[in-house]
Amino acid sequence: MKKVCALLLALTMVLGMASAFADEVPTLTLWCIATESDANRPAYEAAIPAVEEALGVKIEWEAFENDSYKTKIKSTSAEELPDIFFTWSGAFAGDFATAGKLYCLDEEYKNYTADLPEVMLQNSTYDGKHYAVPLTMNIVTLFANMDLLKEAGYDAVPTTYDDLMACCAALKEKGIIPFGCSGNATWCVTEYLEPIIEKTIGYEAMNEIFAGRATWNDPAIATAVDTFQKMIIDGYFDPDGLSLDNDTVKANFIAGKYAFYQNGSWNCGEINDAEGNFQAALFPVMDAEKATYGQVIGGPNDALAVSAASKNPELAAKVAFALGKEICHYGYLAGSGLPAWTPDYDTSAVKPLVADVAKMVAESEGMVLFGDNAMSADPANVYLSYVAKVYGCEIDGAGFIEALTNELQ
Amino acid sequence: MKRTFTYKLNIFLFLLPALILFIGILIAPIIMSAYYSFHEFNLVANTDMEYVGLNNYRILFSSMLTNPNTGKLYANSMYLGDALAHSLILAALSTFIQLPLALIIALKLSKGIRGERAYLSIFFMPVLISTVIIGRLWMNIYDPGQAGLLNAGLRALGIDKWLFPAITSRITSSKLPFTGQWTGFRETALLAAFIPILWQYVGYHMLLMYAGIKGVPADLLEAAQLDGCTEGQVNRFIIIPYIKPILKVCVIFAVTGSLKSFDLIYALMKDTSRAELPSTLMYKLLFLHQRYGLGSTVAVILIVLCFLFAMLISLAFRDKGAKVA
Repeated sequence: MKKVCALLLALTMVLGMASAFADEVPTLTLWCIATESDANRPAYEAAIPAVEEALGVKIEWEAFENDSYKTKIKSTSAEELPDIFFTWSGAFAGDFATAGKLYCLDEEYKNYTADLPEVMLQNSTYDGKHYAVPLTMNIVTLFANMDLLKEAGYDAVPTTYDDLMACCAALKEKGIIPFGCSGNATWCVTEYLEPIIEKTIGYEAMNEIFAGRATWNDPAIATAVDTFQKMIIDGYFDPDGLSLDNDTVKANFIAGKYAFYQNGSWNCGEINDAEGNFQAALFPVMDAEKATYGQVIGGPNDALAVSAASKNPELAAKVAFALGKEICHYGYLAGSGLPAWTPDYDTSAVKPLVADVAKMVAESEGMVLFGDNAMSADPANVYLSYVAKVYGCEIDGAGFIEALTNELQ
Repeated sequence: MKRTFTYKLNIFLFLLPALILFIGILIAPIIMSAYYSFHEFNLVANTDMEYVGLNNYRILFSSMLTNPNTGKLYANSMYLGDALAHSLILAALSTFIQLPLALIIALKLSKGIRGERAYLSIFFMPVLISTVIIGRLWMNIYDPGQAGLLNAGLRALGIDKWLFPAITSRITSSKLPFTGQWTGFRETALLAAFIPILWQYVGYHMLLMYAGIKGVPADLLEAAQLDGCTEGQVNRFIIIPYIKPILKVCVIFAVTGSLKSFDLIYALMKDTSRAELPSTLMYKLLFLHQRYGLGSTVAVILIVLCFLFAMLISLAFRDKGAKVA
C-alpha cells in the first residue's frame, strides 16, 4: 500500500512538473501610464491580451499616474528597468538612449516599415538609430463649445486672431468665460502659450529655439507672451484657473462653463462623448508672414522603449512593436490619440471629433514637438518655471525672453 | 586584562549590527550627499561626475547670477533663499501657534473631561489620514468655485466684498486680482499650505503632551490644590515644568518637521513654486531638472539645518540646575 501511495505521489509530481514546463511562456514586464482614470487605459486593456495571444508571451504590466511615473522612471537604475516601458520621445528618451539604457530597434523596425512611416520615428531617432516605438500622436487642439459660441452670435470657430478676440469680447459680455486653463499643472499653460508663440514666429524658428540652435531673445516671442497675458488680464481666462487642476478645468469646459479649452488631442474621445455640441480647431495665426493656420504643436510623442538590460531584448522589441501597433489601433478608435501607424482596419467607427483632428494633422504645414519634451530635463523645467510665472502675470514678455536667454543660453 | 578585553569585545559585537545599520542608513548617505554636492552629474543620461567645488552652493545661495556670456546679472530661478525663509516661517508658526494650541488641548483633556477618549481620537485622527487625502480635502476647501467651503462661507457672510480687494491690494507678485484663488498667488499660497500642516500635526503633539501630563504624580497635584493653587498656577508651576523634556521633543519635532516638510505642500501645489520649501526644491532639482549635484546640495543644507536647530533647541531647554550639579 505504501509503495502504491509513493508511486502515485511521484507520478503526480512528475505530471505537475511536466504541465508546469508545458505552460511556461516567456514573460516580459511593462511599465506604462494607464491608470484606471487615464484615457489610454482601454487601449492597453485591449492591446495587451491581443499581443499575448498573437505572440505567445505573458506581459506583466504595471500602470502609473503621469507625474509619479516621471519620477519613478528617472530614479530607476538601468538594471531595474522593465523589459518594455513607456517613454516620451524627444529629449526625454534621448537621455536614456545617450546613456546606453535603450535597446536599438532598427532590426525589428525592418518588419514594420509598411505600417509605420519612418517620419513617425524621427522624434525618437538618435545618431541615426531608432530607439522607441511610437504609439499615438497628439497635437494641441482648440476645443470649442458651439452652443456657447452661438449664444455670442458665432456659428463657427473664429479662424483669425481678430475674430477670436471679438468672439471673446462677445462671450464675456454674455457672462461666458472664453477660456479655461489650469495653473496647477504648468504643462497646461504651455498648451496655450506654445501655439501663440508658434503662430507668431513660425514653426521652423520655434523648432530651432527648442533645439537650442536659436536664441530666446526674440522680440516677437515677447510680443506673443504679452498677447497671451493681455487675454488673461482682459478677463478672457477663468481667474479661478490659477489654482485649479486640469481635470477640474476640463470638467468645467464639458459642463459648459467655458467656451474654449485648448489642450491635447487625447481629450477628443472624452469631449466627443460628452453631452453638447463641440468642435475642434487650431489657434489662429498671429503673424501671417511667419506662420500659417496649419502649423501645429505636437507630434508622435508617446512611445514604448525596450531596456538594454532586458534578458530577452529581441523578443521585447518584437512585443513592443506589436503592442505599439495595437495600442495605436484601439487608442485611435477610443479617441485617446491620433494614429502614428497607418490604419489597416475599419476606421468608420472613429469618433467625429477625432476624425476632424486627424484631418488637421494630415493637412498640417509644420510641427513643433511639445516644449517640455523637445528640450532636455533641465532647460525644460527652467522653461516651465517661467511659463508658470507668465500665467500668474509675475513677468511680462520682455522678462520671459530675458530670463530664458540668461538661464538657457 | 584578558577578561576586560573579552567583555569589551562582547559589547562591540553586540553593538556591531546596530552600528552597521546606523552607518549604512544614516551616516553613509549623508557623506555621499556631501560628496555629490561638490559635483554635477545626470544619472539618467549617465554623464560623468564633474567636480564643481562650491559652485552648487553659490548657485543656490545667489539670488542673482552672472551670465557667463554677457556678464550681466539675472534672477536665479533656483534661489534657495526664499525656500529657506518659507521653512523658517513654517517653523515659527509651528512653534508659536501649533504647540501652544496642542498644549492647551492636552491640558484641558487631561483634566478628565467627559468624552476624553473620544476627543483624543478626534484630535489625533488627522495624523492617521494619508497626507495625499488631506491635500485633496484642503484643495476642495480652497476651491475658488462654488464647491469651495472657505470661499462659499466668506461669500455667504459677505466678507469677500472687503477681504478680496484687501488681499488684492497686498499682492505684489502678480497683476491679477484675487478672487478666492488661495493657492494661486505666492502671498496667499504660503499661508494656505501652512494651515493644513499645522492642523494635521496638532493632534500628534497634543498626544505626546497628554501622555506627559498623565505622568505627573497625583500627590504633587493634590499638594498644590491643598496649598490653594488655582488651575492656572498648577499648570504653570507644576505641569509645564514637569513635562519640559516632552515639550523639548515637541519643539524639535515641530522645527525639524517644518524644515523637512514636503508631502502636503506637494499635494497642494503640485509642480508650481508658489510655496517653495527646501524639500520641494530638492525634489525638483533631483527628479525634474535631473541636476543631482544641486539636489544633493539642498539635501546637505537641510541636514545641517536640522542638526543645528536640534542643538539650539536642546541648548535653549538645558536645565540650568542640572548644569550646576
